[in-house]
Amino acid sequence: MEHIIWGIPVAFDLFLAGLGAGALLIAIAADLFGGRQYERITRTGAVIAPWPVIVGVILLVIDLGRPLRFWELLFRRGPGFLMFNPDSVMSIGVWLLTIFVILSLVYGALVLFGWPFTWGKKAKQGVGMIGLVISLLVAVYTGVLLASTANPLWNTVLLPAVFSVSALSTGIAAVVFVLSFTHIYGARAKVDPSIPELEKINSRVISLELLIVALFILVRITSPSLRMILGSAYGLLWWVGIIGLGLVVPLVFGIKGKVRKPQTSVVVAALVVLGSFFLRYVILIGGQI
Amino acid sequence: MITRKAMLIDVSRCMACRACQVACKQWNQLPAEKTHFIGTYQNPPRLSAKTWTIVNFIEPEEGKTRWLFRKQQCLHCTEATCVSICPSGAAKQREDGIVYFDQSICTGCKYCVESCPFRTPQFDPLGGTVRKCTFCLDRVLDGLEPACAKACSTGAIVFGERHQVVQVARQRQEVLSKGNPGEIPRIYGEKELDGLGVMYLLPERAPLYGLPEHPRMPIDKVIFKWAVGIIPGLAVLYGLWRYLGKERPSSKKQSEA
Repeated sequence: MEHIIWGIPVAFDLFLAGLGAGALLIAIAADLFGGRQYERITRTGAVIAPWPVIVGVILLVIDLGRPLRFWELLFRRGPGFLMFNPDSVMSIGVWLLTIFVILSLVYGALVLFGWPFTWGKKAKQGVGMIGLVISLLVAVYTGVLLASTANPLWNTVLLPAVFSVSALSTGIAAVVFVLSFTHIYGARAKVDPSIPELEKINSRVISLELLIVALFILVRITSPSLRMILGSAYGLLWWVGIIGLGLVVPLVFGIKGKVRKPQTSVVVAALVVLGSFFLRYVILIGGQI
Repeated sequence: MITRKAMLIDVSRCMACRACQVACKQWNQLPAEKTHFIGTYQNPPRLSAKTWTIVNFIEPEEGKTRWLFRKQQCLHCTEATCVSICPSGAAKQREDGIVYFDQSICTGCKYCVESCPFRTPQFDPLGGTVRKCTFCLDRVLDGLEPACAKACSTGAIVFGERHQVVQVARQRQEVLSKGNPGEIPRIYGEKELDGLGVMYLLPERAPLYGLPEHPRMPIDKVIFKWAVGIIPGLAVLYGLWRYLGKERPSSKKQSEA
C-alpha cells in the first residue's frame, strides 16, 4: 500500500466534485432551457450542488501533508498576492472548486429566495450562465488532473471525457434520487413528471458514457495496470458493479422514460451514484498498485 | 554570469560501493531507514523522503550473474515537470538549473510525486512535505561539489559546469566505444527534456536501467485533454437544450396515467 500516493480521500473528492458539478449543471440547464415546467429539477439540483463539493474540498485539505498550510495554494507572499499557476491542473482545480462553491451557494440562494425581488430572475439567469461553464469545467478538471500525471493508466485524453460524462449522469441521478425520496416521504399523490424525464435523459447520457468507457478500455488494453485491475478482484467490481449495475441497468431502466414506482427510481439512481464512485475508485487506486 | 551546473554519472565506472548513498545521508542529515531484503543487494529498496539517492542493482538476465548499476536521484531537468505544475510554488528552479523544494511552502499535495517522469519526489508522512535531492545546494553555493560526487571512489560521478561535464561525457563515450565497437554508449540527458542536470553515460539501452527511452513532460498537450473532456459535456448540454427546450404537454398526461 506504500505506493498509493493519492488514496481514498482523493477518490471521494473526484466523485463528490463530479456529483456537485453534474447537479448544478442539470439545475441550470433545466432553468435556462426549460423554464417553469422544470422548476423542481432546478430547485433540487441547486440545493444539492454545493454540499458534495464542500465536503470534497474539505477532504482534499485533510489529505494534504500539511492541512493547515492549505492557504499556500490560494495566496502567496510577494507580487500578485493570489497564488495561481496556469500550468498546474491542480492550481486551476483549486480555483475552479473555490469559485464553484461560492457560485453554487449564490445560485441556490437565488433559486430559493430570489423570487420576491424583481432582479431575482435576471440575476439567477446571469449566475446560471457562468455556472454552466464553471460546472462543466469542474466536471472535466477531475479527469484532466489525473490525465496530467506520469501515471501510464491515467495519462490519456479519454480519461477527462469518461469523468466529465460520468459526472453529469451522477448529478442527474442525484436529483432523481432526492426527488423520488421526497416523493416517498412527502406522500405526494402523483409521481413528479420530471423523474421519468430525467431518467430518460440520463439513459442517453449513460449510453454516451458507456461508449467512452469502452473506447478508454480499448485504447488502454495493453496497459499492464489495466490488465492487472481487470484480472484481480477489482475486475469483478468493474464489470458487474460499475459497468453492469452502474451503467447498463440504469440505461435500460430509463430508456423509454416510463413512470415507475418511486422506490425503484431511488434504487436505480443510487446505483448510478455508487457506480460513479467506484469507477473513480478503481481507476484511482488501481492505477497506483 | 550564472552557468548551468551538471553532473555526469558514468555507470561503466560505478562499482556500487554506495559511498554516495552514505555521503548523501550524512551531509543532508537524513536518518537511517528500517529496510528489508528484496532479493538483491539494492538497499534500501527504493527512494524515500529520507533516502534521496540509491544505487539500483539491476540483473538484466534471469539466472545470470550480471549486474548493471545506476545511481538513482533527482535529475534536475531543465524542463522540470515538478516546477511547472507545483500549485503552491514550492518547487523552484534556480538559474544554474538546480531544482529544489521550498519546505516552508510545500503543502504536501503530492501532485509532483504523481507527475515526475522519473518518479523522484517522495512524500514525507512525518513532516507532511515532499522531499528530494537538492543537488547539495548548500555545498554548491559555497563552491563545493555535491556530497555524493565528493565521496565517489571511482570517479563515476563528475560534477561541474554543464558544458565541461558534457565534454567529459563525450571523451568517455569515445573511450568506451573503442573497446566495444558494437554500440556507442548513450549520453542520456544531453538533449532529453531540454537537457538534464544529471546525465548518464549508458552502455546499454535506457529502459534496462529503469529510465524511460524518451522522457517527456506528462503535462504536454494538456489542452487537448481539456478539449476532449469538454466536447462530450457540450454534447450533453446540446441534448439537454433540445430536449428540455420543447414544451411537453405529454408529460402531464404521463404522470396521471
